[in-house]
This record gives sequence, C-alpha cells and structure tokens, in this order.
Amino acid sequence: MALSSSKAHLPLSALTLPVAMGYIPLGAVFGFLFVQAGAPTWLAVLSNVVIYAGAAQYMMIPMLVAGASYASIALATLVINLRHVFYGLSLLQRFPPKGLMRLYMVFGLTDETYSVLTTLPADTPPQKMFLLTALNQLWWVLGTLLGAVVGAQAQLSLKGLDFVLACLFAVLATEQWRHRSSAWPVLVALPAYALALVISQQQALSIAIGLCVLAAVFIQPKPVSTP
Amino acid sequence: MNQSHALWALLIMGAITFGLRGLPFVAARWLQSHPLIERMGRFLPLAIMMLLLMHAMRGGSQGHSGLPWPELAAVALTMALQWRLKHPLLSLLAGTALYVWWINP
Repeated sequence: MALSSSKAHLPLSALTLPVAMGYIPLGAVFGFLFVQAGAPTWLAVLSNVVIYAGAAQYMMIPMLVAGASYASIALATLVINLRHVFYGLSLLQRFPPKGLMRLYMVFGLTDETYSVLTTLPADTPPQKMFLLTALNQLWWVLGTLLGAVVGAQAQLSLKGLDFVLACLFAVLATEQWRHRSSAWPVLVALPAYALALVISQQQALSIAIGLCVLAAVFIQPKPVSTP
Repeated sequence: MNQSHALWALLIMGAITFGLRGLPFVAARWLQSHPLIERMGRFLPLAIMMLLLMHAMRGGSQGHSGLPWPELAAVALTMALQWRLKHPLLSLLAGTALYVWWINP
C-alpha cells in the first residue's frame, strides 16, 4: 500500500490539471461549432449541464441542424455512450452509498473522470472524488462558454470543421485499441460495416451495430483471460 | 436550429447518458453474473468506436466528390499521433486541420 498511499496525497489540483488541459480546449471547440451552427450561447452551456458527454455532444450538432427525429438522436446517444455502462462496475464500492453526491458522481462519469478516479487509491474519501468530478465538469463548461462567445463573433466559412467528430472517434478508437483484449472487435467491425452498407445505405450504422452484437454473442474468447 | 427541438433533444440525451452511467449501480449483480455481458463489455466498445469512425468518415466523404483520401489521411494522422504521443487534443486538432486544409480550395 505504500506506493498507492503516496498517490493519495496528490492534491486535487494535480489530479484535475490534465483533465482541464483537455476539457477547456475541447469544450471551446464544441461551443464554437455549436454556436456557429446557429445555437444560442445559453443552449451550449445548458447542454453541458444536462448531458456532459463530449462525443455525444459533438455528434448532436449536425443532427440538431438537420432537425433529426428524437428517436434517431436517442439511438445515436445510446450507441455512442454504450461504453459507459461498463465504467461504473469498477467503481461500485468506491462511491458513497447514497445521496445526491452519489447521483452526481454517476452523472459525471465521463471517460476522463473515470480514468482519473480508477487510478486513485482505495482509501480516497468520497468527498475528494466528488470534488474532482465537479471540477472536471467546470472546465468543460468554462471551455464551452469561451468557445461559444468567440463563435458568436466569428465569421467562418471553412468547410469540414465538423470532421473533428471523426477525429475524436479516431482518438477514442486508438485508446480502446491500446487496451484491447483481442483484435476481434476491429476484424468484425470493418466487414460488418461493409456488409451493412450493401444491405441499406440509410441504416448502415444500426445494422452494423446489430451484426457486431451478434458477433459478440458467438465469438468465444480464449480461456486465458486478460484484465 | 429550432430551439424547442434542441431543448427536448438535450433532455433526452441527458437522460439516456445518465441511465447508461447509472446502470451498473442499480444492476451490478445482473451485469456481473452474465458472462455474455462481460464479453460484450470487452468486445463492443472498440467495435462500436470503429463503426462510428467509419460512419463519420463516410459522412465526410459524401460532402465532396472524388475518393475519400482526405478522410483517410486525416484519420491516419490522428491515430498515428495519438498512438505515439497520447495527447488527445493535439491528435484531434492536427487531424481536423489537415482535413479542413485539404477540402477547402
């Protein structure tokens, strides 16, 4: 425990600083794009308060512009954030047993907050984890506000800025690949999407997800388990 | 952008995200006792991220004529930088900048 208890003494500022450096600019890009797409600043900030999920928020911009149906927005959110179902499992014992603090910490369990919380030693007080979660969201909100204010002034006619979402997926996929337990997910996903495109161009994503879920049911991993 | 549509969409997205993040806290035993769920937990995140990536690339390539070279190059750059440097913001901005530079005449 000697090793991990030294980590317990890391001040909040040291833990939240790396997240701030990512969240402020990423939030600013989101705020900028959202306002440029025609949203008022208050809506950009509100979306950080009620959703707080970077990739899903980037994704919603073109969908809101196109006036997409609630059902398709809901489905897209479900798909993009599905990985979050598996985050809470490793933090079950560490969160406060009940109360508003617990609810808020569940709400704020983003990729980055999850990865910081899971590196904290087991005896970290819940209050510290709570503050860390709240600070991380604060950076995200501040960044968005900054980007939205700039975006409301700027006149920009560059095409292709929304490709930032594809690049965000590329970053997340690279990190998932780094921590993979096998290469199967990629080996299945590529042909699944190609096959789905053949079946229906309109519904390609949903069909491909269905195919991947089927594959997950049928592909038996080797008994040698990796964490 | 229709503001009341956007507002409802935000609330729906918020509810779904909260539900997903909260599921293990109310159904941990169920999630942990099913080997199938565990298998999906290991298989699906990477598979779905690859699908989302391909889908977003396809969306980009439909915005211009010609082959999807800008999409492939921007994503390759993003992934190479992320793999080497582990700096999400840098990878993301470099990839987007290359893309925007490429498709704007």
